[in-house]
Amino acid sequence: MIRMNRFSRYNLIAVTLLVIIGFIWIYPFLWVMFASLKTSSEMFSAGATLLPENWDLSNFVRAWDKANFSTYFFNTVLYAAAATVIELFKSSMCGYVLGRYRFPGRNLLLGLVTATLFIPIASIILPQFKLVQALGLLNTRAGVILALSGGSGALYVLLFTGFFQTLPDELFESARIDGATFWQTFRLMLPLAKPIIATVVIFQFMSTWNEFNIPLVFTLGRPELRNMAVGMYAFRGEFSVDWTGFAAGTTISIIPVLLVFFVFQGYFVRGLAGAVKQ
Amino acid sequence: MARFSTSQTAAAVPLNGRIKKRRTKSIPLIQQVAGADRFWVMLFLLPFIILYTSFTLWPLLATIIYSFFDWDGNGPLELFIRLENYITIARDPLFWLSFRNTLVFALINTAIKLPLSLMAAILLTRKWLWGQRLFRTVYFAPLVIPVAMAGLIFQLLLHPANGAINDLLTSTGLVQRPIDFLGNERLALLSLVIVSVWQIFGQYMIYWMAALQNVPEALYEAAELDGAGEWKKLVHITLPIIRPVAIIILFLAFVNALKVFGLVVTMTGGGPGFQTYVVPYFIYTQALVDFPFRYGYASAAAVLFGVTILLAVTVQGYFVRRAEADRKDYGV
Repeated sequence: MIRMNRFSRYNLIAVTLLVIIGFIWIYPFLWVMFASLKTSSEMFSAGATLLPENWDLSNFVRAWDKANFSTYFFNTVLYAAAATVIELFKSSMCGYVLGRYRFPGRNLLLGLVTATLFIPIASIILPQFKLVQALGLLNTRAGVILALSGGSGALYVLLFTGFFQTLPDELFESARIDGATFWQTFRLMLPLAKPIIATVVIFQFMSTWNEFNIPLVFTLGRPELRNMAVGMYAFRGEFSVDWTGFAAGTTISIIPVLLVFFVFQGYFVRGLAGAVKQ
Repeated sequence: MARFSTSQTAAAVPLNGRIKKRRTKSIPLIQQVAGADRFWVMLFLLPFIILYTSFTLWPLLATIIYSFFDWDGNGPLELFIRLENYITIARDPLFWLSFRNTLVFALINTAIKLPLSLMAAILLTRKWLWGQRLFRTVYFAPLVIPVAMAGLIFQLLLHPANGAINDLLTSTGLVQRPIDFLGNERLALLSLVIVSVWQIFGQYMIYWMAALQNVPEALYEAAELDGAGEWKKLVHITLPIIRPVAIIILFLAFVNALKVFGLVVTMTGGGPGFQTYVVPYFIYTQALVDFPFRYGYASAAAVLFGVTILLAVTVQGYFVRRAEADRKDYGV
């Protein structure tokens, strides 16, 4: 009983604090979301006020139809999903082999992968651009997907490597005794890596969803291949600063990601914690 | 992950080094590849290696090569000029101003975001807290906004004429006249720091939460039996145990802050004057914006900057090894 009271007291203080700071924290979100419901003259005169006087849904209609947001939305989903699947395949396979087998060049590969985690991406986009151009994939969806899933992945390989390394050897021993082939053993072990898989899915999905540089540079010639982040930026030029339309577009693009996080956050933290523990 | 991307990256890095050392000692059973497995191992490595070589290793190598040429990014590489790019850059005041700004940005950014996110993480992992899921999502939320968009939103919010923040400050009487956050020489870089802390906060909160999960529950239970309160548990159990991981997170945070780019593009464009030029932005303008394009020159800047980051990582490695020794002393 006393315990209960003590924790309730903690909660009273902590929750109050978290609510106040939390409100300030997501104020920019709320401001944008409500701005998407305002007329543009009201948006500029309203200052810090959140609630619109006249609710106006036309911004969403305009963003979705005229500003091509339906296309951008489709592209974004496609890029994020494809890059995530490719990432998951290549990093789990590579991590599995690195974690369980010794072969010539293993340490070199591990060292390189670790070192490249610390290189700023901005400086290597032109060579990537030239490569995609040489492959004839510039201004295609395949080119964007290739670049998105090609440039990342070092972290994921290390996460999988660490995970498979810590699996008990008895597991592999008994699989071997049962006569499981390489492929069968992999199929058995992969589901055990669920926390890592969840981490990779969230990280990769979120980052490709928000990716800006690669889609910008790789779709310069074909605006209809843009994702939402780039489309949003272009909103400024093409529609002579349609800020309420911009606000509506922003709202459309962030809500799905927030939902993904809200649902999967438990896995997320556990996956990372597992990686740290090793 | 370019932005978000590169950044989350490294949680596993130094850990990996540790794994290697420990595992080879205690469990030497990682198999030597033999027989039919050879084929499978190759097959499993191939997808990653192909993509990694072409989209990460080759671009890095190419950048180093470009840095020795006078090249605008188009046409053949012809004008080999040896170290001239490097010599010019050593005398370029704008590069050094950018360098200084980048360091100042990264230092202040790290000094603010780490303690704050640690506090949030500790609070949000307490078992007794109500509404955990909701609060976590709230504090994580800014991370899901693309940097470019976050920059635009804050351009609006911070606007001196009709921005929400100035509206709030003046109407509550906190300031007399609206503040031009992004147009003021002294405030612009600081405004960038604050917005970037807001934006990236969730990522470090998650790192800390992951670190905190490794504190054995049994220790807390034992401490509670001994009558320790929340504060005592924090100081005597939580903090000492996460210290080694904290050092990793610290260096990760600093290195990632050095990569600031998107916010500068969308919020200040390097201005006022050149007061918010940072190295990644300098590279970008030299290579792709300011005419004539100087791609070779920008590549030299990138190499110099990359070497700096790698140096920071090497220092990190040293601290990590020391932290490891500490960790053994605690018997965790």
